[in-house]
This record gives sequence, structure tokens and C-alpha cells, in this order.
Amino acid sequence: MKIFEPHIHMFSRVTDDYERMALAGVRVVLEPAFWIGQPRTNVGAFVDYFDTLVGWERFRASQFGIHHVCTMALNPREANDDRVNADVLAVLPRYLEKDGVVGVGEIGLDDQTPTEERFFLAQLDLAKAHGLPILIHTPHRNKRRGFERIIDLIRDAKFPWPHVLLDHGNEETIPLTRDLGCVSGFSIYPNTKMDVHRMVAVIREYGVERIVVNSAADWGISDPLMIPKLVQALLRAGFPDATVEQLVWKNPIAFFAQSGRLDLAALDRPPTASRRETHDGNTILRGQDPDRS
Amino acid sequence: MKPVPPALAALERALAGPEEAWIRERLDLDPAAARAALPVVFPALARRAGRAGLSGRIVVGGAHVDLGAWRRCDAVGTLLLHAADPVDDATLVDLFLRGDLEERTILLRAASVRPLGAATSRFLDEVQRTNVGAHLEAACLDHDLLVRALDGGLLSRDRFDRLVLKAAFNDLPLARMEGVRERPGAELTRMLLDLATEREAAGRPVWRDTLRLAGGAPVAGTVARVLGALEHGDATTRLAGAEALLALRRKDLAAYAAERLPREHRPDVRAALERAAAL
Repeated sequence: MKIFEPHIHMFSRVTDDYERMALAGVRVVLEPAFWIGQPRTNVGAFVDYFDTLVGWERFRASQFGIHHVCTMALNPREANDDRVNADVLAVLPRYLEKDGVVGVGEIGLDDQTPTEERFFLAQLDLAKAHGLPILIHTPHRNKRRGFERIIDLIRDAKFPWPHVLLDHGNEETIPLTRDLGCVSGFSIYPNTKMDVHRMVAVIREYGVERIVVNSAADWGISDPLMIPKLVQALLRAGFPDATVEQLVWKNPIAFFAQSGRLDLAALDRPPTASRRETHDGNTILRGQDPDRS
Repeated sequence: MKPVPPALAALERALAGPEEAWIRERLDLDPAAARAALPVVFPALARRAGRAGLSGRIVVGGAHVDLGAWRRCDAVGTLLLHAADPVDDATLVDLFLRGDLEERTILLRAASVRPLGAATSRFLDEVQRTNVGAHLEAACLDHDLLVRALDGGLLSRDRFDRLVLKAAFNDLPLARMEGVRERPGAELTRMLLDLATEREAAGRPVWRDTLRLAGGAPVAGTVARVLGALEHGDATTRLAGAEALLALRRKDLAAYAAERLPREHRPDVRAALERAAAL
């Protein structure tokens, strides 16, 4: 089964992960711009990171037969940092027009501060100006209240709900989001956040309409094969192939295709990158023969 | 829309097509507004204007360009820069350094028809440093930018040689590097022959235009390689050898062309050999 992994930080992962994901059916990864594990101290660090997302990481994914797209944003954690926040906002417009950028994200709230809210609203304006959907990071602490505040901010800004993906949801938040008309995202972790069994239960109760699932795998203890594992669990639980396909392929495509920048015919086939190709003169080969690696 | 010089009219004809209204809206901006928009417009160019191929040749202010290598997005990018002129070197370099692979390709194509400047020099340095195939092609092939930069003093002979060597390293065809064949140099020959030796030792193919350039500025070892090429099993290598023999213009070597002629069946190789034998 083809899988569109709609939230994974490949910047932090190794090539083995790409290889295993490709073997497990992952055809497309979406990498939201986010926190990298430590604070960045100047806008140049963001620029280099953004360049990686639209450049090297796309190339690296293609070398394993996986399409790579991304969303761009000033993340809510670093929105609180006055060393970088305004300057990052200023460089975002040029990145929001780059090839491979299909949304604004991760934006949202983390500590739920007034500064976070200011930069969140500024990025809603950017998303409108560039015609892009938004991927929203919701808080891991005080989650329900954070969800409610984000919903209020979006409603007040009159941002169209079909262009909103509220991510990192759980059983507690899904009742808040179902009637809004947005897409509800669930991140499945090995030990924390949602797990496979809870996710199966959510699908059993709510169905798959306007729901997407992701591994949110990053630099911490996380599993880039969580979606293939969920697929197996759903099939074992008796869900039809078509239902599972809608959840892990059609739904994320339908959401991010609203950017007008997904080539749907191209996604149906793996990228055909040659290992003789380079990116800025660099390869993944480490000296290996490109025809035998 | 700012009037376009007659030399760029062929690019203007490429405007008809997808997203034409979006493109014309940006071309209609006054120069200051057009300059301000460049950082946001360039990232979207390849996606919006598309990569449909152009055709024909243009001559712009002394620059000779084959549009057969251009895409519609290259033409639109060039016209957008014209609409935004005067665009200073710092802005052009910023666009290049912040650009993705496509944006840089568009800027390199545009550079081949724009006046030479500090930005052109920086672009060529970046192309040399990064070794991206598409950028090497855009910088070196299907126009005479390299030789204009050399003749105009923008590129030193050493930088020119290194760019040609990089093109050779990536197997780009000399025939599409306009004017380069007429700018041979002894140091360039030495580097190319060293590269050939390295490739042969590794059992890898040698750049097939090596001898064509070497013949114009021979160094120790060139003649032996040229004569050896006349007996090569690959006809393209024999042709390069015969052309190099001609470029050497040495009467004492004419006998080698004459000796090969009766056994040479390829018409193009024979033609070159006949001219070399008649020296």
C-alpha cells in the first residue's frame, strides 16, 4: 500500500530510515519546518535549515525512491525567541514560493504565550497571501486549552477551515475539531502521544474522513515506520483496503494538494533519481559505485 | 511593460502560454517594484512559467546565445530582470545564493545575455565550486559567455582554464562551448592530459574533446597522444585525433595522416585526415 507520511523530520534521520520506509511502502514524506533540538541563535541558521528542506533533503529522499515535500514556518517554540523571530518572518515569503513547499507549518502554540500568538497570526496572513494550507502544531502541555485557543484564533482570523490541519491530536481533542471542517492529525509514537492501538480505536469510532496520521519522527525516540505498522494493525482489525488507503494516501494528498503544487501523477510513481546525480556536487554514495549501491 | 530590445524579442514571444497573466502582471511593475518582487517571484518561476523548450539563436550586445537550451522559465526570468533593471550585483548575487537549483539555472541563462559584471564573476565561481551538472551546462554551454568573460578580463586565464577543466571532468561537449576551442592554452592542455591519464589508469572514459583542445596548444606528450588516437577503435576518438593533428599544423606529421588514410572508412575522419595530410 502506498503511504504519504505527512509529518516527519527527516533532517534528523539517517539513510537507513529512508531505505526502510521505501521498502515499507512510504512513497511521499512531508517534512514540516520545526525545532531542531536546540535553540538557533541567528536567522542564518534558519536559512540554512530551510535550504536543506527544499534542497539536500529532497535530493536525499529521491535517492531512495521517495518524494519529499515540506512546509515552511517559524515554529512556535522559537517564536518566543527575540533573537530570531522577526528576522525569520522576514525571510519566509521567498521560501513559501519555493518548489516543494506545500504549506505553512509547523505554526501554532507551544507555551501559549502572547508572542507565540502574534507570530502565529502573522503566519496565517502569509499563508493567505501565498495560497497555502497550514499545518498546526498543538501544545504537548495543557493541550485541550491550547487547542481551544488555536481554534479561536483561526476563527477570528477567518482562515478557511478546509485549509487547516490541526496536528498532534488525541481522543480528548478530536471532539473539538470534528465539526470545524478542518483536518485532524494524529502523531503516533512508540511510547508517548498516540499509539497504534489507540489510533485503531479512534478510527473505529470516527472513521477516516478528514483524518491524517503521522509518525512525527524526529531526533528523539520515535519510529519512522509507525504508519506502515498502523496500516498492518488496521488491516488486521478488519478495515477494508480502500479505507486504509484513504487514511494514509488520499487524505494527506487531498489536503496538501490545496497548495496547487502537488504533481499527483508524479506522486503515483517513485522518483527516478539516478545515484550518479549530485546535489551541489554532493552525493549520498560516500565513494561507492553509483551503479552498485 | 517596459520596452524590450529587439534582440530579446525572441524571449518575449515565449510569454504566450500558461500563467501568462501572472507573468505579465510582474513584467508591468515599475522597475523599483519589480526589483523588490524578485526574491519572491524567482522561486516560483520554474513552477509557474514551466520548462517548455525554446528554439532559435539570438545576438544580444555581442553575446551569442543558442536558445535551444533554454526553457520558458529562463526567458521569463531574463525578461523580469530586464523589467527590474538596473539590478545591482548585490541583488543578483543574493538571488543566486538564496536560489534553489532551478532559480540558479535561470540566473545563469540570463547571465549569458546580460552585461558582464561582478555578479557574473561570482556566479561562475559558485558553479566552479558546487559542481552541479545543470549549472555547469547553463554556465558553459550554448553561448559564448566564457570566452567573452575571458576576453573582457572578467575571468583570468587560470579561472577560465579551471572552468573548462570542470566542464571536461563532467563530460560536457566542447562543440557547445562557443569559442572555447579557439582559446587553447598550454596549462589547460597540461591539465586535460593529466585528467586523461588519471581516467585511463582507472579504466574510465576520457573526455572525448581532450585532443581537440590539446592540439591547439600542445605540451610534452600531446603529439604521442594525437598519433595514438588515429589508431583508436572508437571513431569519435579518431576524429578528435585527426582534428588535433590538423590543429598542430606540423608538416612533419602529415605523413601519419597519409599513412592512416587508406585504412580509415569514416568519411568525417577521412576528411580531417586529408586536410592534415595536405599540410
